[in-house]
Amino acid sequence: MRAPSASGRAVAGLEGVTVRFGSRTVLHEVDLSVGAGEFVALAGPNGSGKTTLLRVLLGFIRPSAGRATLFGTPVDELPITERARRVAWVPQEEANRDNPTVREYVGYGRYPYRGRFQAESAVDRERVEESLSDLGLGDRGDDGVQTLSGGERQRAVLGRALAQDTPLILLDEPTSHLDIGHQLDILERVRTLSRRRGTTVIAALHDLNLAARFADRVVILSRGRKYDDGDPARVLSEGLLARVWGVTADLRRDPRTGVPYLLPHQRVVEGPAILAGPGFGPVHVVGGGGAGAPVLRALSDDGYRVTTGALHLLDTDAETAEVLGIPMVVEVPFAPLGAEVRSAHRRLLEQARVIVVAPFAVGPSNIANLDDLEPFVPQTPTYLLAPTPIDQRDFAGGAGARAWEALRSAGAREVDGLPALQAELRSLEARWRSAVPAAAPALPS
Amino acid sequence: MSAAADAVDAASPHSRPPHPGRWRSALAITLLGVALVLLSPLVGSVPIPPTEVFRIILHQLSGGAVYAQPCAGVTDSAPLCSAYVEIVWDERLPVLLLALLAGAALGISGATLQGVFRNPLADPYLLGLSSGGALGAAFVYVFRIGEAEASLVLPVLAFAGSLGAGVAILLAARGRSGSVETLLLTGVALASFLSATLTIVLLYNPTGSLQVSFWLLGGVGGATWNRDGVAFGGILIASTLLVLHGRELNVMQLGNDVAQSIGVPTARLRQRLILLASLVTAMAVAFTGVVGFVGLVAPHIVRRTVSSDYRVVLPLSAMTGGLFLLAANDLAVTVLPGTQLPVGIFTSFAGAPFFLTLLYRRRQASTMGDS
Amino acid sequence: MSLNPPSTGPARSISFAWFAVAVLVAAGAAVAATAAYFEIRQNHPSASATTMSLTDDVGRTVNVPVNPSRVAVLSPSIMDSMYRLGLRSHVVAVDCYSAAFGGLSADYSSDQVSLWNLSSSMCVQVGPTLNVEQLLAVSPQLVLASTIISVADVEEISTTYGIPVLILQPTTLSGIVLDVDLLGSLFHASASASLLSADLALGLGNATRVAQNLTNAGTPFPTVMVTYSPVAAGSPSPGYYSFGPGTFGTSLIELASATSISANSTLPYPELSGSAVLAARPQFIVYGTGFGLGLPDYAQGPDWSSFAAVQSGRAIGLNSNFLTEPDPTMILDGLPALLALFHPGVPV
Repeated sequence: MRAPSASGRAVAGLEGVTVRFGSRTVLHEVDLSVGAGEFVALAGPNGSGKTTLLRVLLGFIRPSAGRATLFGTPVDELPITERARRVAWVPQEEANRDNPTVREYVGYGRYPYRGRFQAESAVDRERVEESLSDLGLGDRGDDGVQTLSGGERQRAVLGRALAQDTPLILLDEPTSHLDIGHQLDILERVRTLSRRRGTTVIAALHDLNLAARFADRVVILSRGRKYDDGDPARVLSEGLLARVWGVTADLRRDPRTGVPYLLPHQRVVEGPAILAGPGFGPVHVVGGGGAGAPVLRALSDDGYRVTTGALHLLDTDAETAEVLGIPMVVEVPFAPLGAEVRSAHRRLLEQARVIVVAPFAVGPSNIANLDDLEPFVPQTPTYLLAPTPIDQRDFAGGAGARAWEALRSAGAREVDGLPALQAELRSLEARWRSAVPAAAPALPS
Repeated sequence: MSAAADAVDAASPHSRPPHPGRWRSALAITLLGVALVLLSPLVGSVPIPPTEVFRIILHQLSGGAVYAQPCAGVTDSAPLCSAYVEIVWDERLPVLLLALLAGAALGISGATLQGVFRNPLADPYLLGLSSGGALGAAFVYVFRIGEAEASLVLPVLAFAGSLGAGVAILLAARGRSGSVETLLLTGVALASFLSATLTIVLLYNPTGSLQVSFWLLGGVGGATWNRDGVAFGGILIASTLLVLHGRELNVMQLGNDVAQSIGVPTARLRQRLILLASLVTAMAVAFTGVVGFVGLVAPHIVRRTVSSDYRVVLPLSAMTGGLFLLAANDLAVTVLPGTQLPVGIFTSFAGAPFFLTLLYRRRQASTMGDS
Repeated sequence: MSLNPPSTGPARSISFAWFAVAVLVAAGAAVAATAAYFEIRQNHPSASATTMSLTDDVGRTVNVPVNPSRVAVLSPSIMDSMYRLGLRSHVVAVDCYSAAFGGLSADYSSDQVSLWNLSSSMCVQVGPTLNVEQLLAVSPQLVLASTIISVADVEEISTTYGIPVLILQPTTLSGIVLDVDLLGSLFHASASASLLSADLALGLGNATRVAQNLTNAGTPFPTVMVTYSPVAAGSPSPGYYSFGPGTFGTSLIELASATSISANSTLPYPELSGSAVLAARPQFIVYGTGFGLGLPDYAQGPDWSSFAAVQSGRAIGLNSNFLTEPDPTMILDGLPALLALFHPGVPV
């Protein structure tokens, strides 16, 4: 079960690596040895040391104790160009104000192969074109990177790392701000390419189910220590989530692939508890993929009682709601919404005084949300947040746009931003309070 | 593999310029520049007929072969003709060249620092270089170093003060985290300290304060062929070295960590680029004092009209900076007839509104991003 | 297995970096060649047949043409001497302060100034900024300047154009007399120069004699504050500019048998607070007038009405140029005015 020992054969190796920032120990005597061609997922809750571990391998952080090696050579003994020819990096997010073309951008990955006075070689161009076509960006080569969508942009970043032509690629939460469709797409491409090219991949993924689905091997980090390391089928257990994440869950197995997945117990807060509180509400926010998070934060800051759903567990919106203590309905990651979840969601919609639909990306896994809320539109004021038109975030092949249109014709109103929404809610509240102080009247048409 | 590679390459859009519109803008800037350079010798405090100006230039260039006499309309008045020759040859042309050189130095320095600091508002004087130069210049005026030596000592001390400030900051930030923020804050602190020192020096020695305050406004009036030669050598060498770092600057825009992962030694490069930028800035400061806004504005003009690719931004910022300063100087000698105003007034006069527009647009963009 | 595909010619193997270097070097070579060419072709005006060697007030030894007919005078103080020596016809350019901004009209009556006929078209210098083009256009043989001129301009004028620059900036009262003698010998005006120096020497001698007599008689010197450039109302640190050690103002006050209250200040031109003046209790206050300034501007200063000198009517206005410009007018008009003020009735 253990990978090859920490000899010179390992592509990447950590021996007793400890990292301290001041008095805080971020990594604690971690040993790891990754062999050629492996796809290793690093998983663990936020702050467990995944990113730090990758940064040690990249040479950005020098361990306080222990040794990090790449291909048997200590990382800090490798000249920077040599290192760049051996290991490439895909960060969580890359801030770039400039607007090079996608082809130019991917070409940046060829930097370690070109001398100062060397023109781009045929090999350079070949690698760039190969990366572009491998990532389905062949026809976007001449567009500026700023014109790319989130998923395309992350593919371009991956393309830049592939053009670097390294035997090892490190990915740090490469998909955390993408919707589920793009998450699967990116990881699928990484796995295919790594198998074809024999590239070793180490990816930090906080979504345990994604890790299990794509990786050959899962390394669990918990509070800076290595908690477990091995085959996903062995590592994933009901006890793991309880001990490392503090979540109770059932272990299931995907009937088609046999890949194990963890199904955390649903947390649904029932109606009466919500209505008992003071003030105006509840305002129900339909979100997903991070689109709902700013809305949830803003509305709970404004003092509204807020509910949300139906989200996928470990999604950014679900995590935000968790932190803010907002009641929600959740489904397991990347599964279509189940009947049980949908009916729980309808109960929340029923109790809502106002419904807000965040500008989330509509895909097969969450389109049911739009369908479910339509019957509530006529009697509940409904606002559609639409800073970006629906057709740009419809990944359900037009069904999203149709459902959106149905909501509009049922009387839902489009507002173009959070400030506009907040203004609408304030005036709505004022009208209701002046009309009938205690009761819950219908919206004056 | 060969055939496949050829096929890929034949189809590769690399074979054609990817953005024809950008090159049209670059061409437009170039043509504008040529026109400006040709028209600038006609402009000055003393009205000289254009025909005389061109006649003098052709006469001198050809060594008398094209026109035996430099002046046509004023041959009867020999002193006037020789004064015209001096004005055109020994005054207007060196001034023109110094404006181009100093503007180029500030333009390329501004582009470099904006790239290194990943901050569109960085300018060549960011790291206290102007305060350092002013302090150097103040020593010459305040301690009345003998007039003959002073003409050499002033540029040398202004250069040393300016470059010294840049080097001091690099040394201070060395060994620490060396982060961009540390460098910036060290620069701000040093600039503040140096201006306070300058104020104290001038308070105790008020005789030089008027000259120092005019020096701080900047000007290209003191140009001579000799000074142009020195400025040219220094600015050419440092600018050439800077232009060679376009690729690194492109990659550095992706952030410190990503750039390092691609193989760019960011900490070392940052020091080298700041040193070179300080060097070209100090060359400009030595001969023209502190000319504001050129270094801020020129790179933005290039970025907005041509490309944000630093391989293009660096050389074109130099060109645009030179033309901007030349245009400002042409304005400075023509706006009030018979009066030569410090050129720094005009660069700021045009630069300040540009800067505000830039700020305004940036705010617009970020407001939209927030919602 | 070709690395250079046919679609891209050999030119494509030249990187942008090399291209940029080549362009810059080519441009450099072109400019350097042009510069060298200009250097060779510079035609300096040939030096005047008769020249003399003079040492100016900053210690430079300058070869100047004897009795030049075309002179640029870039200082109101030097213009004062030129006027008194009858040398207006030699002046072809002046500084703008002398020409337009009342630098001379404060010293002289408007009739005299109009006789000078200094038009604004002759003015070639604002502050330290010299308009070289306009200077060249009048083809001067000599430039007389004060130390306000920038060192770069001095070098450019004398080296590039071969026009000698003489800097006249006396640092003592007797230096004023020496500069008058220097101008006299330069312009073959020894007779008028002798008369003027004699007048100046007499003025200085009389003042010294008065001081000696007062000391012998045991009469104490009055304490005085001479102030100028009133600080605008609402300024963050309102006060009174005064003369400190090593300045013309302090020398003038001492020669007028008085003691400046700021003679021992650490700054040459200190700004005294109201309470500092109250503490020093000057017996006389002299404030500079002219340029539109008068008593109301000074009376806005802190504690003005509380000063003993003000209350006893011993605050008097005097033409600023008498006090601040180091020229014959300072000795011939300024010194007697101060003496008469501080020591009324003492024969001069």
